[in-house]
This record gives sequence, structure tokens and C-alpha cells, in this order.
Amino acid sequence: MTRRRTVLAALVLAAGVAGCGEVTNTITPNPGTVNNITLELDYFPNADHVGIYEAQALGYFKQADLNVHIVAPTNAATPLDLLAAGRVQVAISYEPDVLLARNQNVPLVSVAAIVQQPLTSIVSLARQHITSPADLRGKTVGDSGIPYQHAFLETILHHAGVPARTVKEVNVGEGLVPAIISGRVNAVLGAYWNYEAIELRQLGRRPNVIRMNQAGVPTYNELVFVVRKGTIVDHAPLIRRFVQAVARGYEAARRDPVAAVQNLVRMNPGLSYKLQLASVEATMSSFFPTDGHPWGWQSAAQWNAFGEWMTQEHLISNPLAVPDASTNELLAGQGV
Amino acid sequence: MSRMRRWTGWAGPLLVVVVLLGIWELYVDLGGADPLVLPAPHAIASALYTDRGTLWSNFLVTAQEVVLGIIVGVLIALVLSIGIHFSAMLRRGVYPLLIASQAIPIVLIAPLFLLWLGFGLLPKLAIIALVTFFPVVVTTLAALETVDPDLIKLMQTLDASRLEVFRRVELPASLPGLFTGAKLAAVFSVIAAVFAEQAGSNSGLGYLFTIADSQLLAPEAFAAVAVLSAFAIAMFALLAVAERRALPWAYQPKGDTA
Amino acid sequence: MTVEAPDQEHAEEQSEAAIVIEDAVRRFTSRRGVVLALDGISVRVRRGEIVAVVGPSGCGKTTLLELICGLQNPDGGRVQCAPAALMPQRDLLLPWLSALDNAGVALRARGLSRSAARAAAGPWFERFGLAGFEAARPGELSGGMRQRVSFLRSLLAGKPVLALDEPFAALDAITRAEMQTWLARALQEETRTVVLVTHDVEEAVLLGDRVAVMSPRPGRIVANLVIDVPRPRQRTDPHVVALRAQALRSLGVPE
Repeated sequence: MTRRRTVLAALVLAAGVAGCGEVTNTITPNPGTVNNITLELDYFPNADHVGIYEAQALGYFKQADLNVHIVAPTNAATPLDLLAAGRVQVAISYEPDVLLARNQNVPLVSVAAIVQQPLTSIVSLARQHITSPADLRGKTVGDSGIPYQHAFLETILHHAGVPARTVKEVNVGEGLVPAIISGRVNAVLGAYWNYEAIELRQLGRRPNVIRMNQAGVPTYNELVFVVRKGTIVDHAPLIRRFVQAVARGYEAARRDPVAAVQNLVRMNPGLSYKLQLASVEATMSSFFPTDGHPWGWQSAAQWNAFGEWMTQEHLISNPLAVPDASTNELLAGQGV
Repeated sequence: MSRMRRWTGWAGPLLVVVVLLGIWELYVDLGGADPLVLPAPHAIASALYTDRGTLWSNFLVTAQEVVLGIIVGVLIALVLSIGIHFSAMLRRGVYPLLIASQAIPIVLIAPLFLLWLGFGLLPKLAIIALVTFFPVVVTTLAALETVDPDLIKLMQTLDASRLEVFRRVELPASLPGLFTGAKLAAVFSVIAAVFAEQAGSNSGLGYLFTIADSQLLAPEAFAAVAVLSAFAIAMFALLAVAERRALPWAYQPKGDTA
Repeated sequence: MTVEAPDQEHAEEQSEAAIVIEDAVRRFTSRRGVVLALDGISVRVRRGEIVAVVGPSGCGKTTLLELICGLQNPDGGRVQCAPAALMPQRDLLLPWLSALDNAGVALRARGLSRSAARAAAGPWFERFGLAGFEAARPGELSGGMRQRVSFLRSLLAGKPVLALDEPFAALDAITRAEMQTWLARALQEETRTVVLVTHDVEEAVLLGDRVAVMSPRPGRIVANLVIDVPRPRQRTDPHVVALRAQALRSLGVPE
């Protein structure tokens, strides 16, 4: 899956603007009146967001006295930039990015996991015969130039005993799939096993997929809901209602995926029903935690382990970044 | 131009287009390009037909952004041109800034617009206005400055004040330049609109393009682009027609009309 | 018949002078240094008089006209002139206005409404042989017609002095000849003080009460020919021919 990045300056700028005070809708927690929440997506509306749009379509937000405005991503700023700047109340982002932001002392907290495990994968076309990390020796791998993608690759190669110098890493920007189709690279790192890989399969291209957490990278939550720490302090009940309405949405999608995808496609122009349905069915189990935890559950142990990996890879160094990066207090049956 | 000549005038370009489309179709069908990268014309035509409803409603969204953005851009350009024309101080101080505004990559400016103007129509208008105002300033200013100085001297001897000279001579004389700039702006604005929609949008042709592209739906992506291109051409043609209507004097009289 | 002598003024004519230029000097600074366009030029024009100014290219004829119209100020000497309207060499009609509206431009500039300006200019069109062309755009008019509209425009400015800058130079020979005849008659009907700059010596003799000959740059008046041939004048009139030859001699052109 491709991601959008801006220069660090933009993040600092955003934080600076945030310091000047909140710019957009402040949340007014008035019981009985509708509260506005602007939600910034990580990527264009797709199968990963099925529960959110289901909640919207089935009126779960309305029932929770919420007016949720869903905004697609922008090439001008990342979701976390906008969140930190106060332009949105909730953003969808990725566990590594949350830790990176906290490393810069940006006070963000992850309040729910949308996707429990990594979706990021190494994807290649069948003719490359790359079925395991060991097959990467002597090959060229493309990614989007994100530092932790480089760390992923290094960890995978190390885990498979492949010397890093035998593998060439190329920045292909946002064009992951064009890069493997054109043959410019043998494989790409950053495509999702539940999205690009399915697209390719539906087009008859028979991709080979190696998931991050099956190749030696510690597991992490690919997609999470993130809010500013201050929002939890000031408006916990509001965010709780939001998260739990979304949880109901994912549960409804689990009960009737076809209807859910129909809602998703109806509410978003340009989506392919066939692709999104296949993606939802493939991802469904990853939306829900195991061991009877409520939807959105984040494992503290997992966050600590992943944070430690990032520290070892010199991606973060701030001792305050990892502790309290995530909280489950707003999930069903928690906190209160 | 007689009707006969008008039709034969169309035949040439049409033939060229048909031949090009034919070559394109053969090229893809015979395996010259991966359909994911370059879809065949028939696939694009099919997508145009299947998605016609979605394409139309999203076209309206983009069209609104573009038309409003151009209007804002042209107004700003007019004010700036007149100001720079009249004031040497403004020319020295402002003109270099205008040029700089175009040299700064728009990827750096878009985030600022987003922060200041939010998610709605405004930041898109700002981006489109930013891209469109400059060519209009350049051409309008050029037209203002190439007014015959002898004409101005003449008007002065006819007791016209500076304001009168501007109103009666310079302003009408600048209109052809304004239209030329507007035609350029119209074409640039479409590209700007795509970028503007990628800067935060849930609808529009630029959005459709990006979403189709992200799902590897190449025919649908090209279909959105086709509509955008047609829109740009239509705007250009519309402006050309409006120019002939509004400024009939700017064209040489045809001595030997058929 | 003719008097050929340097400019001499009579005291009693000063009260009737519409234009008084005494020892006017005009300098221009360019990249190539200082250019002396007019070097102590003196001209005196009586009210109602038509003075034709001839001279070689670059002698400063246009500068002289601009001094008369008040578009420039002299660097030395004195220029005193009643209000003057300029008729330029190129007609410079506004292409977006009709012939009628072009003629009335001076009136509009002064604040008259469009209908009032049209009413004032309208009657002239027939007198000037332009009947039926009121609504025509300049692009649709012939060269001679455009110059007539241009002349009317200058006339309607209502100024006592008309400064004509080689008005027919851009026309072909036939049209030029027609226009010269036309202008002679028009000026007979509408008396103004006229300074007519031309390079066409015959034109000067045909139209002017007096022909002032300018030297090459820096410009000065080197000769004054009084033309007291009765009007209407014929090109073939021996007096006209002789005066033309005289003027050419003053210009130093071998006959």
C-alpha cells in the first residue's frame, strides 16, 4: 500500500500552527446535540474502511449523536500532520508513523486498531519466482523511500541470511505496481497483501506475496485510529462513542460483507465492487482481535516489542515515544 | 466561411484523430504495451460509457472548481496588471514576486492553502487561481504596454485625462491580451484542478482519476482524463468564440468571404 | 508675389498671433549622447493662418508640432500657443469604435453623453463625404476615409489650432491628391489656425498661406515663402509650380 509523506518541515509547521490554537471545529460535548468529528483517512476509501462506512450507512454515528465527516487523504499533508495541526479530530494512520510522531514529541495517541496485523508485503509477479525472502538475493526491490521500509527490508534479509549488499533497493515513489509491471524492479515492498496483491490476482497477474510479519519483522497494527492526547483528556466520551460506533460497523460488516461492500461502493464514486469485496473478505479476520478482546484492541506487549525494534533500527530514540503510545480505555467495556 | 468549407475544415483533423486511435488500438491489442499501463481505446470508450453517470456528476464538481478558479484568477490578474501598468513602484516591487509565485513548486504551497483554507472549495480555488492568474497578467500587461504612444499623445491633445485615456484607450486595447491569457489559463487550470483535488477532495474528475489509478483500473483512469481533456478543449474553444463575439474589431475583415 | 527672406515679424501682428515660438530649443538625451532637435527656432502664426512646414527627415518637424500641442516643453526659449488638437500621421482610430464614435471621442472625453457626441458628429459625415459610413468600423474604411474621420475628430475637439502631422503621407498617390483637394476645401469652410507638417512640397504650396522651410537637424526656419495664390489652387498653375520649385531650392534639392 502506498503512503504519502511530506517533509519534516511540514510536520513542524503543522505542530507550530497547532500551537497557535485549534483552527477548526472544536468539539462541543453537549449531550443531546450532535457533535462534529472530521475523520481523515489514511488512503482513498477502500475495503479497510468498510466498518466506518457501514457505521455511517446504518446510522450508528447518528445514534451516538455524532456527525462524522470523512475526508480523503491529501497530497499536501499527511493525516498526522492535519491531526497535529488541529484540522481534524481523528486520523487513520500506521503504528510506525505514530511512534515516529511521538519520537518528535508530537502528542498523539492511538486509540483503536482497525487492522490487527501488518498488511505491508513484498509483492512480485510470478515470473520473478520470488516465493521466499531467500529468493531476493541478487534482485532489485522497489519501495517508496520511507526509512522504516528500508528497515523492514534489512530485517527480512538478515532474517533470511541474505547479505544486504546483494539486494538493490530503489525508490519508485508512489508507483509500486507500475514498477513491477514494467520490470523496472523485481519486487516491491510496501504493497498490501489485501489490496494491490488482490488487484493483480484479479487481473490475472499471479503475484507472489511475502508478508512483513511472516518474514521476520515484529508484528504491528497496520491501521489505527489516532487522536491528539488533549482530545482524550477533554473529550473522552465523544471519542469513545465514535470508536464504539465504528466497532459496531465492523461487526455488521462481518455479519453481511456483501451489503457492507455495497454500502462502501455506493458512498464512494469510482470504487470497484469486485475488488473491494474480495479485499474485504480477505481482510475480515484481521479486523478483529483474538482472545475475546473488544474490536480495536491493541496489545501493549506488541507495541513495546515493535517500538523496541524501531529503536534498534535507529528509527526512534526518544524514551517517551513508546510508553503510552496506545490506549484501549475508549474501547467497549474498557475505561469508563 | 461557407458551410462547405467549414465541414471540410473539420474532416482533416478528424481523420488524423481516427487514424491515431486506430494505431493506438492495434498497438495495445497486438501486445505492444501492457494494458495496465496503456489501455486500448475500446476499453476506455467502454469505461466512458459504463461510468457515464459518475463521470458526469464528478465533471460538474471539477467544472465548478475550474470556472470559479479561472474567474478569480482573471480578476486578480486584471487588478494586478492595471496596478503594475500605472505604478512603477508596484512593477518593481510586485512583478518579481509574481514570477516567484510561479517558480515555487506548488507542492510546497498546497499544504499552506490547506492549513489556511480547510478542506472545502476554497483551497482548490486558491490553487487554480494561483496557476491561472500569471499568464493572464503577462499577456494583459503586454497588451497594455503596447498601446501606441502616439495614440496616447493624441488623446491628451483631445483633453482626455489619465483616467479617460485608460478607460477609452488602454482598457479596450488590453482585452485581446486578456483573452489570450484566459485561453492559456483555461488549459493550465485543468491540470491545476487535478492537483487541487489530490490536495483534499472526495469528488471530481481528478479524484476519480486517482482512485481508479490506485485500483489499477487503467481504462477508468484514462476515461476521467479523457473527459478532463475534452473539458479543457471546450473551454478554449468557448473562449475563442467569446473573443470573436466580444472583440470583432480585433480580427482582420475578410475581404473575399465566400 | 513671393517673398523669400528670414522670418520677420511686425509688431501689430503680435496681438493676432495664435502661435508664438521664440528661439525655442529642444534637447533629447539618448544613449548616443545629447541630441539637439530644435536650435533656436522661431515661428509666428496668425490666427486663421495656414502654415505648412516642410523639411528633410529628422529635422524636428514632429518635435515642433508637439511643442505647439503642449505635449512637450522647450528647454530654452518661449512657446506660447492657443489650445491645439493633433491630427497624427497614422489615423489611430480606435478599432473598437464606429466611425461616428471615433469622431466624437474628444467630446466624450470632455464628458458628453454618447448620444450627444453622436448628434454633434453626425451632421459632419455628409459634409465630409462619409454619409452612410457612420456605423462602419475603421477596418472597413479606406485610407482616405479614415483620414477624414481623423480630421473630423481633431476638428470636433473644438480647439482654435490644428496641428497636422504629415496627414497624408501614408496614403497612395491618388488618394493623397484627392485628400489634398478635400482638405483645402474643408479648411476654407472651417477656418482654424493650422500648422501642417509635410514632406510633400507640392502639398505645402497647395494648402498653405505660407510655407516655412526647416533646416536639417538641429531644426531652424531657413526660409519663409508667402503663397498668395488664390484658392482653389491647381497643381498645374504656373505660380504653384514656380513656388514649388522655389521651396525645393530652399531645401537644397536639385531641380
